[in-house]
Amino acid sequence: MSPAVLTQSLRKEFKLGWGRGRVLAVEALSLEVKRGEVFGLLGPNGSGKSTAMKMILGLLRPTSGRAEVCGFRAGTLAARKQIGFLPENPYFPAFLSGAELISYYGRLCGMGGTRLQDRVQELLSLVRLGGEKGRRPLRTYSKGMLQRAGLAGALVSDPEIIMLDEPTAGVDPAGSREIRDLIRELKQRGKTVIFSSHLLEQVEDVADRVIILHRGQKLREGRLEDLLTQTTEWQVRARGLGEDRRKELHAWLVKQGAEVMEEGSPRERLEDFFLRSLPEEERR
Amino acid sequence: MRESGRRILAVAANTFLEAVRQKVFAVMLIFALVLLGGANYFAEFSFQEQFKFLKDLGYATISLTGLLVGLLGAAQLIPAEIERRTILTALCRPLRRWEFVVGKYLGLVFLLGTMLAIMAAGFWAVLRWKEAQLVGAEGTEAAMIQAIQAEARDARLWQAFWLVSAKLFVISAIAVFFSTLATSTTFVVAMTLMVYLIGHLQSVAREQWLESGEKVGWILQAFLAGVAFLIPDFNLYGLIDEIVAGNAVQWRATLEVMAYSVTYVFVLLAAAAWLFEGRDL
Repeated sequence: MSPAVLTQSLRKEFKLGWGRGRVLAVEALSLEVKRGEVFGLLGPNGSGKSTAMKMILGLLRPTSGRAEVCGFRAGTLAARKQIGFLPENPYFPAFLSGAELISYYGRLCGMGGTRLQDRVQELLSLVRLGGEKGRRPLRTYSKGMLQRAGLAGALVSDPEIIMLDEPTAGVDPAGSREIRDLIRELKQRGKTVIFSSHLLEQVEDVADRVIILHRGQKLREGRLEDLLTQTTEWQVRARGLGEDRRKELHAWLVKQGAEVMEEGSPRERLEDFFLRSLPEEERR
Repeated sequence: MRESGRRILAVAANTFLEAVRQKVFAVMLIFALVLLGGANYFAEFSFQEQFKFLKDLGYATISLTGLLVGLLGAAQLIPAEIERRTILTALCRPLRRWEFVVGKYLGLVFLLGTMLAIMAAGFWAVLRWKEAQLVGAEGTEAAMIQAIQAEARDARLWQAFWLVSAKLFVISAIAVFFSTLATSTTFVVAMTLMVYLIGHLQSVAREQWLESGEKVGWILQAFLAGVAFLIPDFNLYGLIDEIVAGNAVQWRATLEVMAYSVTYVFVLLAAAAWLFEGRDL
């Protein structure tokens, strides 16, 4: 089976016009995203993440190299049928309601009739925009609600691949957690998720593999486990050790020739603590 | 093919909906209807002059409002979508770029068509109102009543209405063409107005030049031929003025101008789609 996304020596230059030269946005980018994988695109601003995504989506034409989506040349109708896309910022027609937005995107995918109506209602419930919320114009939505509406729009045709460009940018921790949960759920359903993010902890939480870009070039690529596991060190978390036992353990480790680098009670992550502090109904 | 039609209609319906939900077009329509209604109060001339005035003002109002709607609507179509980046969320779907361009144009045509139909209905109502006023006046003779009714119910006005519509659809197609090249709405409005003016002046200039008998080089000849080919000759729509002036215009001539308009719309949309196909977003 062909990979979900395959790029070979992808390069993109932008002409500045009026003889001002060119800007290199992506250079020699080769990557392969397997089906069913959650793939993270990492990199600072201007590293070429969005440009790479746009080339895969067919919104930009590569200067050279090629990209394929499920075996189809990127940008073709067949390739675009495989992808649902959520852009970085909520670039949606503000005059539409949440339900109208999803319906519009569904019709652009060639859907119609009761199948589309049912799908719209199903997705509104999935992203918690059912009832009155779904009938409100998008201009009255918060950033989190817009992202959820956009996500529903990306899922409307039940695509094989979901591409999310900074899906949690500007979203509060609860909304951010929700999007991560949704990514996990999509993975469980066998979907391929490709997303970019600046928030590395979030990437760490959900991604199977990542690629790190810098100035348009690939710096590192691999499975998170392989990239992050420090095989020369060992870590134990234990409960029920008294002060004396801890000292004994420390002395024993030193006696064994180990260098004790860190010791102490573990700290909860601020995000988990914050979410735990909120009332139950606010966490979702 | 069916899916393609569905996608084009989706873009067209969305474009129409966006325009309808913008207050600016509704305000323009109300302004035009008030102007049409107000024209009825000019009653100090003979009935022929009153109808002439009504028709002049009516067609001027419909043309001007239609021109503004076409220009503003088309200028907003693609550059505004690029500026707001909403185009990204549409074109990342299985939607061909030419489908997007055609859908946008059709949405604008729906909008223009609806506004023209409402203005035409308003104009018709004003003419009938004037007819009722004049016929109901004391001492109106039977022969005069017939003459008034002939003026108010002149079937040639439909010819003029179709010609106005065709002209506006061509102008909108020109604006759509420029909107696929542009990044700003000002550029689209400025370029379309320029073509509109050249389109009106080119045949006058050509006639003057032919009459003068002056010899010109092949470069200038080629340039003038290019202008004549690329820019629609808006003087062909002078038939509207003939009709409003009360002169008979054959349907054949009207249909020829309509066919000319349809051809230009097709050529402009094909060129717009071709240019838009290669554009980075």
